[in-house]
Amino acid sequence: MTFSERMLKIDRRIIFAVIGVCTLLPLLYPVGLPIKISPEVRGVYDYMEALPERSVFLLSIDFDPASKPELHPQAIALLRHAFRKNFRVVAMTLWVSGTGMADQLLTQVAQEMGKEKGKDYVFLGWSPGGTAVIINMGQDLYQSFPSDYSGNPTKGQPVLDGVQSLKDVNYAISLAAGNPGVEAWYVFGKDKYKFELGGGCTGVIAPGLYPLLRSGQINGLIGGLRGAAEYESLIGKKGRAVAGMDAQSATHMAIIMLVIICNLFYFSQRRASKQQHQIG
Amino acid sequence: MDATVIGAWVATGLTLFIFSFLYKDNPLFKLAEHLYVGVSVGYTIVKAYDTVIVHLIVKPIFEQGEIALFVPVAIGMLMLTRYVPKAAWLSRYAFAFIVGVGSGLAIPRTISSFILKQIEDTVRPLLSIAGGDGVIFSMNLLNPASNLNAIIILIGVSSVLFYFFFSIEHSGPGKVVARTGVLFLMIAFGAAFGYTVMARMSLLIGRLTDLIEFSDTSYGRPTLWLLILTVGVLVVLSRRKPQSEPPDLH
Repeated sequence: MTFSERMLKIDRRIIFAVIGVCTLLPLLYPVGLPIKISPEVRGVYDYMEALPERSVFLLSIDFDPASKPELHPQAIALLRHAFRKNFRVVAMTLWVSGTGMADQLLTQVAQEMGKEKGKDYVFLGWSPGGTAVIINMGQDLYQSFPSDYSGNPTKGQPVLDGVQSLKDVNYAISLAAGNPGVEAWYVFGKDKYKFELGGGCTGVIAPGLYPLLRSGQINGLIGGLRGAAEYESLIGKKGRAVAGMDAQSATHMAIIMLVIICNLFYFSQRRASKQQHQIG
Repeated sequence: MDATVIGAWVATGLTLFIFSFLYKDNPLFKLAEHLYVGVSVGYTIVKAYDTVIVHLIVKPIFEQGEIALFVPVAIGMLMLTRYVPKAAWLSRYAFAFIVGVGSGLAIPRTISSFILKQIEDTVRPLLSIAGGDGVIFSMNLLNPASNLNAIIILIGVSSVLFYFFFSIEHSGPGKVVARTGVLFLMIAFGAAFGYTVMARMSLLIGRLTDLIEFSDTSYGRPTLWLLILTVGVLVVLSRRKPQSEPPDLH
């Protein structure tokens, strides 16, 4: 067996170990590689910056703990920005399995920023129906969510003063790991009720959302952990996403190297077998 | 013991048990996998019951007297007739209602959002008007709205659509167009795969970040102890003799 044949039949656990080491080392010994801000992430940041104080900011936390590593840092960075700008934050989720996590992250950031529940923010929780909830909220928010996650009636809460439906929302962002998510918020929300919409998503669904970004259907897109790191850099409060960027770069380099090496071995093996055929 | 510490031990243990599958399938992985499925289904059922049955049906009807809610409840109950063979036909009314309303809501909105808006974006002007002086052609590849990108998108959309047009043979100039379409498709698949790799690596980074955090003494070093436990169990399992196959009785 030639060297290239041996390499192409290498135990896959060795590759797992290489990727594991490439991820672990930069996390233990970060080097702080620079982070370039992309226009799509800046689109969300600039729009938030331009809004006046006490604007109504709707954050739909449409993911569950399975996508936490990518979307949790995005949610934290966006909430920090919104609270720093003194927006009225209305949070909710279209994913029932993400309800507890969404409540925990909102409470954590609100406490950190010294915000008051009911006055500065409210967590509406989850309501059944998926996309129908968005349509219902566009007609009457209080019909979809008669009470918030804690069981308090939503009507009369100072944070929702003057908010009757989605038409009264100044800016909405859906942090999505799938469907219902950004697309549903555009199709059944923005397109019908005409409020501005931004998006945040996992890396897997990001390529599918770029057409919406280019056509202006959403005004910005925070994609994956990298997008979260960019947003953390923009608000000047670095967190878990920025800390993970060195590891992300290292693993990408490792994967590129593995792809190149495997191709080299493959072509060398093919050339050797061709030569053998010619001799035979 | 503090709930955070218990949470750290559970999260660390389950992460390591799941990662143990990278070595080979084993009972620790099965335990974590079954727990994941069971806990997530249980959580969903409890949350759905609390939100839907208690807060959106029982309380409004019996505390606020919203008797109109009996109509959607009745439609919903019709679905349960599927379990009674003689009355199963009644469920068709509920399904008909859902399909009808769902299609009515989704079809016009989807056509507007995903077809008309996207076509509008694809057929952008290939030249831009600059003030009153004349027309310009912007060549910036990094600007999605540049004229050069408008041409690239037009070529990409047309060639990919042609590639999926099977009524004529892809030969001569048609072959060139179809090949161009394949090239665009490959670039799109590559970009999607690159993003997928990035997403999967992000998940690994997230779990490893937690494992590093939970190796701290304030949590009682769960990462260290549970790693030793996991490796120990894997060693014991790999040394255990494989059970002999049951005898074939036929």
